[in-house]
Amino acid sequence: MQAALEPFRQAHRAMNGYEVADSLKPIAPRHDPGRLYTFYRASNAHQVESEIRYALKYSKSSGLTRNESSAWTEVLVSYWKAIGEILAIEEATNQGRLCDGQWTAVYDAWKEVTNNLIKHYSNGNLPAWTIVCLYVAGTYLRTFAIKADEQLAKAKGGVTFNSGFQDDVVDSMAKNEKLEDAARQLNRMFSLCIGDRNPIMESRKWGTYYMANLQFKTYFKLKAIGLSKNVVRSINASDLPPLENFPKSHQVTFKYYTGVLAFLQEDYAQAETHLTEAWRLCHKDATKNQELILTYLIPCRLVARHTVPTSALLAHFPHLQQLFSPLVTCIKRGDLSGFDNALIACEDEFVKRRIYLTLERTRDIALRNLLRKVFIAGGYEPLKEGQTDADRIRRTRIPVAEFAAAFRIGMSGEGTGQVLEDDEVECMIANMIYKGLLKGYISRERSMVVLNKKGAFPGTGV
Amino acid sequence: MSIPTTIGWAHHSMPPHALAYNVVPARQSLARPMPPAAEQPVPAPKARKVQWSQPVRDYVQRAFAAENALEGIGQEEMQTKLKQVISYFAERDMLDTIDWERHPLPQHLIAEERQAAAMASTMNGYGWTNNAVPIHLSFPTGTTNTASSPPSSKKRKSMDDQLTEPAEEAIPPWRKANRNAFEDRITYSHGPNDKRHKKNDFNAGNGSSKFSQADLEKRKARFRTEMPGNQTTPPWASPRNDSDSENPTGPVIGTNQELLKNYLRLTAPPKPETVRPQHVLEKTLELLKKKWRYESNYNYICDQFKSLRQDLTVQHIKNAFTVSVYEIHARIALEKGDLGEYNQCQTQLRALYSQKLGGHPAEFLAYRILYYVYTCNQTDMNDLLAELTPADKSQQAVKHALDVRSALALGNYHRFFRLYLAAPYMGAYLMDMFIERERLAALANISRAYMTVQLRFITDELGFDSDADCFEFLRSHGAQYLVIHAEGEPARVNVKDAKNLFEQLRAAAFKTVDIKGQI
Repeated sequence: MQAALEPFRQAHRAMNGYEVADSLKPIAPRHDPGRLYTFYRASNAHQVESEIRYALKYSKSSGLTRNESSAWTEVLVSYWKAIGEILAIEEATNQGRLCDGQWTAVYDAWKEVTNNLIKHYSNGNLPAWTIVCLYVAGTYLRTFAIKADEQLAKAKGGVTFNSGFQDDVVDSMAKNEKLEDAARQLNRMFSLCIGDRNPIMESRKWGTYYMANLQFKTYFKLKAIGLSKNVVRSINASDLPPLENFPKSHQVTFKYYTGVLAFLQEDYAQAETHLTEAWRLCHKDATKNQELILTYLIPCRLVARHTVPTSALLAHFPHLQQLFSPLVTCIKRGDLSGFDNALIACEDEFVKRRIYLTLERTRDIALRNLLRKVFIAGGYEPLKEGQTDADRIRRTRIPVAEFAAAFRIGMSGEGTGQVLEDDEVECMIANMIYKGLLKGYISRERSMVVLNKKGAFPGTGV
Repeated sequence: MSIPTTIGWAHHSMPPHALAYNVVPARQSLARPMPPAAEQPVPAPKARKVQWSQPVRDYVQRAFAAENALEGIGQEEMQTKLKQVISYFAERDMLDTIDWERHPLPQHLIAEERQAAAMASTMNGYGWTNNAVPIHLSFPTGTTNTASSPPSSKKRKSMDDQLTEPAEEAIPPWRKANRNAFEDRITYSHGPNDKRHKKNDFNAGNGSSKFSQADLEKRKARFRTEMPGNQTTPPWASPRNDSDSENPTGPVIGTNQELLKNYLRLTAPPKPETVRPQHVLEKTLELLKKKWRYESNYNYICDQFKSLRQDLTVQHIKNAFTVSVYEIHARIALEKGDLGEYNQCQTQLRALYSQKLGGHPAEFLAYRILYYVYTCNQTDMNDLLAELTPADKSQQAVKHALDVRSALALGNYHRFFRLYLAAPYMGAYLMDMFIERERLAALANISRAYMTVQLRFITDELGFDSDADCFEFLRSHGAQYLVIHAEGEPARVNVKDAKNLFEQLRAAAFKTVDIKGQI
């Protein structure tokens, strides 16, 4: 056990929080794939406590206070037990005989580790510089919870029914029992960090954003996105140091999530600010993260500013290119049915990313572009006497029928089954006017659209 | 042993040998002391050699168990009582006939006696404690009733409350003598259960003293044989052993035959007598459907449906019938625009459909889409879209609802109002919830895009039944001044003049969607 705890003790002596946390990870480091196994084999259930206690307390170089030493003992003992469960599951998986509830056992064992950490942080036995351990605990708690839920869901169907004497049959739709539990633990850890009153240099406050991000991640997975607002609210109400002082990784993730939250609340201006910031801070090699940010930033800018992503940008992200470039092409061309098809083609992916409903609204821009084409194709008013080419103005009175014809181009295609009535064309034009994409009015008597002579399509040069 | 209890004993002429000594109390009542029952043999207890059976031993063990100790009742007191209880039954050779597992523990008996005594002393003011009968001993006394006044049936019920099996079916007639009013009052002081008993006590008539001794004996025997098989006797019959005998996970099996029942929120497991089994509930549903058709008293129907749902729940009935109950309730709630109640049904139905129990999943899926359109909840709508399968989308009602959604998302009010007029099933009821809002939105739209239009145009575009309806709508929103009736020409509306008004109305209409029990 002395040898097995050496990495921990070294890291602790060097006061390197990240390394201390590394020694508490439930996965083996790359340079030492047998670490978990060695650690677990170094003791047995009977003696583990006394051995760890001895190793921490009476070794020459530990330098731990009594409280801290017994706190680590407790943590490490529960960690040792959790490792036992993890090795068991590894073995079972390798042999292809995984039992029901095994991941639950891992989750429970890991929760014990987490609880011990929470306990000793909150009563001050563990120093704040080791807060990274809490990150590790939280991260894996979430992972194990998801695994446990998957296994539980496989074992028994999704729905639980009421067994008490409530009014209604179904208890809840919950099938994420463990993850919900994990969310509660994460919330405890979050409060543990944000509520710390120690001087800021030795405060657990530095863990706040990491925990907040973990919570966001969990709430998104649980489809309980609304709960994220509470986290944001308590961060806004707290006296945390400025976000710039936190590690960049915390900043990027936090900005990303607050951006997405604003996006989902259809506050596109806010969303754009946060997401742009996340984009700016994101590490240049973190393509996965950049892609995630762009997944929301692109629809956001499309809807709020009518700006399409450049093909140069999309070229860096093949997946995004596949998703967005057909849409972008159709928007530019004003191809409505092409737009509809592109939207349907990737509907599942869009819905999964929660951007479908936003992208749907960019059809307005495609429509605007189509109408604009009609306007441009309409040519110019004949020159009056004394006017030169420089004075000529575009024809601004356009029959509804011309727009209707444009609508019908490409719509006649088989399968759409859509017959467009003239009233519907008028309705869509009215919509354009209402949304400020088109300046002018409709004259119903003459079946004419009378466009503004100066800038009928604001922001497009005509 | 407390003094009042002793007096009570003496007064009721309980077999003196139940005590270690003979009490000769001063006579305190006018009732004649009762002679010991003739048919009751009085064996000499000391001479008996008793083999304690396992149940009895368990009983003793439980009596001594620390977790069963009651505050304020000492060990000694309890032991005395325990001795009394056991020796009492032992002397009568009844140790084997008692259901020891259910028999109240001595400490509980003491507590009960004390309570009764306290009650009595407050009642009559001078400590007259007649009713402080040692309850466990009131079993087969067989004394004759000399003071023969007809007991009321109410008393029976109160006894049901307090007593456990051995005692409850044999209230000696003399206990009822002369003290009707007195005990009546006590009846209601024994906790919240008495109401239920009042309704359901089917034995109520039996306790009358006009029954002969033989009848009483026969009845006693009958109940005794029934006892072991009487497994469905629910725990609330004996409030004492709530904690260990209650098993809330097991379904109740209802026995109530009444078709109608008012809804009452349960705070404890229900009695089988109050719960209707499925075959009765099926008739209930038919009756309710009929009542709804002819009487249309929504509050009443809703209440009845809630109790129906409750009965299904406590009996763990989850089948096609359950689905149809929820579906019908949901439809009725929709019809009355009670979205709170509709919501509850909808949530339940979602889970029930996931169990593949039949019903009309497509219809209700369509309602759910329309509901989210109404609540403008983009997140929920997105989740719902993520759940949809191609099979769902091919359903006519679902397709309609999705079209409604996309028409509104694209601002295509023309199509939206066409869809409103063609809503399948009860979709139109749900769309009614947001039709006004969308009309205002469309008017805000039109008022910016047009200068002036015919009234008929608005009537057609916004799905009004007639020009009059349309005019009424404008009038109710303070926009009637826009309408111009010129001689020989169709009415026109100067929409342009009201673009700010409509915009304000639209914004206000979209501002709050507040529904009780929103999902």
